[in-house]
Amino acid sequence: MRASAFLLSVFLAFAGSGVAMAQNLSGTVKPEDWAAYKTRFIDAAGRVIDDANGNISHSEGQGYGLLLAYLASSKADFDQIWSFTRTELLLRDDGLAMWKWDPSAKPHITDSNNASDGDILIAYALLLAGADWGRNDFVGAAKTIIGGLGKSNVVKWQDRLLLLPGAKGFSEADRNDGPIINLSYWVFEAFPKFASVDKTTDWTQLSINGVGLLNKASAGPRSMPADWMSAKTQLKPAKGFAAEFGYNALRIPLYLMRAHINDQELLTRLRKGMTSESGEVVITDSESGSVKETLPDAGYVIIPALIGCVLDKTKLPDSVRSFQPTLYYPSTLHLLSLSFAYSQHPECL
Amino acid sequence: MKKPVLILAPLIAACAGAIALQQGYLPETATARESFRSSLLEADRGPDQKNATDEYVVAQSGRTPAGRTQPAPEQPPAATTPPKVDETALRYFARQGDQRRLEAEIARLRALYPDWTPPADPLAAPVQTDASLDAMWKLYADGKLAELRKAIQERQSSEQGWTPPSDLIDRLELAEAREQLVNASDLKQYDTVIRVGAAHNSLMTCSEVDVLWRTAEAFAKTDREARAKDAYAYILDNCADPAERLATVQKALPLLTRPNLDVLLAKAKITPDGKSEFDSIRDDLARKAVADAGSDPKLVVSPADVERVEKLATATGPSDPLILGWYYLRRNNFEAAEKWFKLSHDRENAPSSAQGLALAMIARSRPAEAEAIMYEWRDSSDGTKAVYIAAVANLLAQDPPVEIAPEILQRMVPEVVEAKDANAAQQLGWYAYLLNQFETASSWFSTALQWKPDDEPSSYGLVLTRQQLGDTAGVAAIQRRWAGRSERIARLGELRKTRQPGLVPSHERFGDSLEPMQLRPTLTTPLALQDMQVPDRAAPQPASPRTLADRVAETISRQRMETTEAPLMQTEQMPIQRAPEARPRRSAPAPNNAGTRSTRGCTTTINPQTLSPENALSRGWCLMDINRPLEAAAAFERGLLSRTEAARSDAAYGQSLAYLRAGLSDKAAVAASKARQQQTRQVELDIALLSSRATEAFNAGRPNEALLALDQRARIAPERTDLMILRGYAYVKLNRLADALRVFEAVAATGNKEGLRGIATVNAIRKREY
Repeated sequence: MRASAFLLSVFLAFAGSGVAMAQNLSGTVKPEDWAAYKTRFIDAAGRVIDDANGNISHSEGQGYGLLLAYLASSKADFDQIWSFTRTELLLRDDGLAMWKWDPSAKPHITDSNNASDGDILIAYALLLAGADWGRNDFVGAAKTIIGGLGKSNVVKWQDRLLLLPGAKGFSEADRNDGPIINLSYWVFEAFPKFASVDKTTDWTQLSINGVGLLNKASAGPRSMPADWMSAKTQLKPAKGFAAEFGYNALRIPLYLMRAHINDQELLTRLRKGMTSESGEVVITDSESGSVKETLPDAGYVIIPALIGCVLDKTKLPDSVRSFQPTLYYPSTLHLLSLSFAYSQHPECL
Repeated sequence: MKKPVLILAPLIAACAGAIALQQGYLPETATARESFRSSLLEADRGPDQKNATDEYVVAQSGRTPAGRTQPAPEQPPAATTPPKVDETALRYFARQGDQRRLEAEIARLRALYPDWTPPADPLAAPVQTDASLDAMWKLYADGKLAELRKAIQERQSSEQGWTPPSDLIDRLELAEAREQLVNASDLKQYDTVIRVGAAHNSLMTCSEVDVLWRTAEAFAKTDREARAKDAYAYILDNCADPAERLATVQKALPLLTRPNLDVLLAKAKITPDGKSEFDSIRDDLARKAVADAGSDPKLVVSPADVERVEKLATATGPSDPLILGWYYLRRNNFEAAEKWFKLSHDRENAPSSAQGLALAMIARSRPAEAEAIMYEWRDSSDGTKAVYIAAVANLLAQDPPVEIAPEILQRMVPEVVEAKDANAAQQLGWYAYLLNQFETASSWFSTALQWKPDDEPSSYGLVLTRQQLGDTAGVAAIQRRWAGRSERIARLGELRKTRQPGLVPSHERFGDSLEPMQLRPTLTTPLALQDMQVPDRAAPQPASPRTLADRVAETISRQRMETTEAPLMQTEQMPIQRAPEARPRRSAPAPNNAGTRSTRGCTTTINPQTLSPENALSRGWCLMDINRPLEAAAAFERGLLSRTEAARSDAAYGQSLAYLRAGLSDKAAVAASKARQQQTRQVELDIALLSSRATEAFNAGRPNEALLALDQRARIAPERTDLMILRGYAYVKLNRLADALRVFEAVAATGNKEGLRGIATVNAIRKREY
């Protein structure tokens, strides 16, 4: 019974997302917020800088930058970021982006593997901008990336489709406990768009399987997913990675909500597990459930707050309603959250 | 000789490879990032072989429809109305004074629009200053492509109806594609290089060949060599810059096979001074071919290439003759190899040429010269050390042996010890052996075995040496260790035991300057036999070619065959112990096991009467081998009771030999008659008996009897030199001085000192008398 009830909710969620995608998201990041963001994190060459990680850049950052530029309706900034992304990262023979770019290294690429979430974000932003701004070159570039993702990163495993975090190093063949997955790499809102332009890979199935895995990934006292998990048998923390609900996984509820996958039970569980009594976000050990780190940054705190908005129409606290750039990652999550609130839940503001 | 030279082969191979690298004949890959870039386009159609007939297409304009076009400048797409040529960039570069970009732009526009004439003075063009556009061109010129993208978008958003010049957009697009292509190329993403190149087929102009080079490389690296060749050929067919043309062929060198390279080389222009512009490349190619062949003897090099390099080599420099040296060395043409190595060495005394020259000299049996050349370079590298040690080993192993100056020996020894080279140590062992320095020889053979425990030749040397030193237990120990694995070690008991001073190269021959200590290895711990590893049963038997060890063994047995007695002067001091070596192979009934065992088991005293006649016979031979002739005679006595005639004959023969060796020739004669002997063996015994009898008679002061025996002997065998001397002294005793002088002179004529001494004796007697 529980399983069928769950399936129903997922299908409803996808139906809902179809409606939502028809809406124009462009313009849902405020110009002044975007200006503050780009001044802080994007240089003249169109490079999005991860200032918490030695000022490197990566495909995820470029993808976020493109998506935010689109959401801010800034064609010029989009072009600028795209120029860098294309010439410096989109170099792999399989059409995907090399994930890591270091300004102090020569050549700048220090890891030629890809990171599938970065590629998904880039392709998703390109599809949105291409459709909205009539840029066929963006759509063409997006299709190349989507095709590459399907070939290099989507695998069938025990009747499921899995998204491998990278083309190399995570598969069943590459590791004893492979395949390894990172559920925060499923950028759910992108998959319906991908499905509309690419029939080679079943992106809808990949999305459904991702949600299914999230429902299973509830081990430990807090019933929270770990950032990196082995999907070989039952989901469990992958060897060689910190066994924790961490910086990766904390964006999962945001991705779910942005994709209108409002699985109440799942969102409730995630909100409970990631929130301290005072409302801050906590990083917790997968086995003991103990708190390893407490994150007061508005860019993190807004995520459980948004769950409250979506599920209970709870208004967002004042502390998270206005944007002040802090570090690249929470600032990015903050703008994505605000964009979602402005466009989908103005009643919570 | 053969064996030491054999070890040269891997040495030569290793050296040649290293030299080729050192000399830089193996071209580097072309990765330099040139300032000029252009691009080539070509749809990604998969490896050549699949559609080798497909034309390789290089277009020159982004405005050309994607498809196959001829590389030559083409017609503008719309022929009816002259196209409006966008000269914005041209004028911008002119205003900036950017001559290089101005020329590149003129070249590009000319390729696009053949009918177009560049403005006589781009600066005189109508002044329509557009500061914002100029700023954009500046961004472009500065390579700030992302900022340019942003600037264009911003102006489009802010200025209704403004569209950027198509030229600017085209160039920006191409510049981005170029960046992407170059980055992908640097990261070896060759499919991306080809994909980007194919999508931007207007990247191609002769003024920027880097992208074309990179695309060609990408084709070559993805098994599309024919396309790579086409790309390079395109440059040679269309582009004029001499340096870039040369670089084009250089970049193709490591990527294309020779036939395709030859296609490119055929596109060489003739320079004003009448030379072909790619002569230097042809030279390098020939060098590479010959150098490659210097490390791989199976490679076939065209005679034209060899000839070219030989021509280059005669000119100047040490490197060209050097690669020829390796080339010929690897083809066993040692004479030519030596010639070229020598030329190189004469031009520059370097380790590489010294090494090659030494190897050639060793191969040509001149190891002394090789040693001399290599000595100063012995520590330059592992390779030079190996060649030096090879020269040492071959020098010591020369056949016939040559005298080695003490100072040379002295400098070789520590090198051998430092290198721990078992072969060289073994050769030092044989060298000492030949000098009758058996203790030293033993030490070297032991040392060789310490460095290479399973070495049969060294074990053989050690066992021979121990035998010479009378170390029966030591001999037996080695024989046990090699039982079933080395026939020659096992059969050592069949050789003579007694040390034969003055055998093979004597002190006389080498002079007296060689002290045994000079050859002694400076090891701190002498090898104990017990420490020797038992050789692996599967270990191959040593190579059969004649080694020094074989030669020593042969010499020993030959001596035994050819000489019966020691020289006269020695016969005066000791009984004649020599006997004919022609010991019969016991053809008839195979000795039983006990008999076989007895060859190593006759050291204990046994009453032969307790043995079977057959066993006694075996024991007799065994006792002969350990030089106990009287016991042997007793054993043979028992053997005379054997059932077969052959065995009885054998026993009589053995007993006769035993008595001869014991100096009892009368008894020997009796023994010889105890059984019928084969004709040859009878003659052999007679000769030996008569020799013995003559010596005995002379020593007993009966010169007439001695002369009688010698005359009898002379009727059945030629008289040996030592017996002629004996005869001479017999004449002296009988005061037949003229006869004595005649005999001594005949002996002296052979160079024998004893002959001279005899003459002197006769003369002295005459002086006293007169």
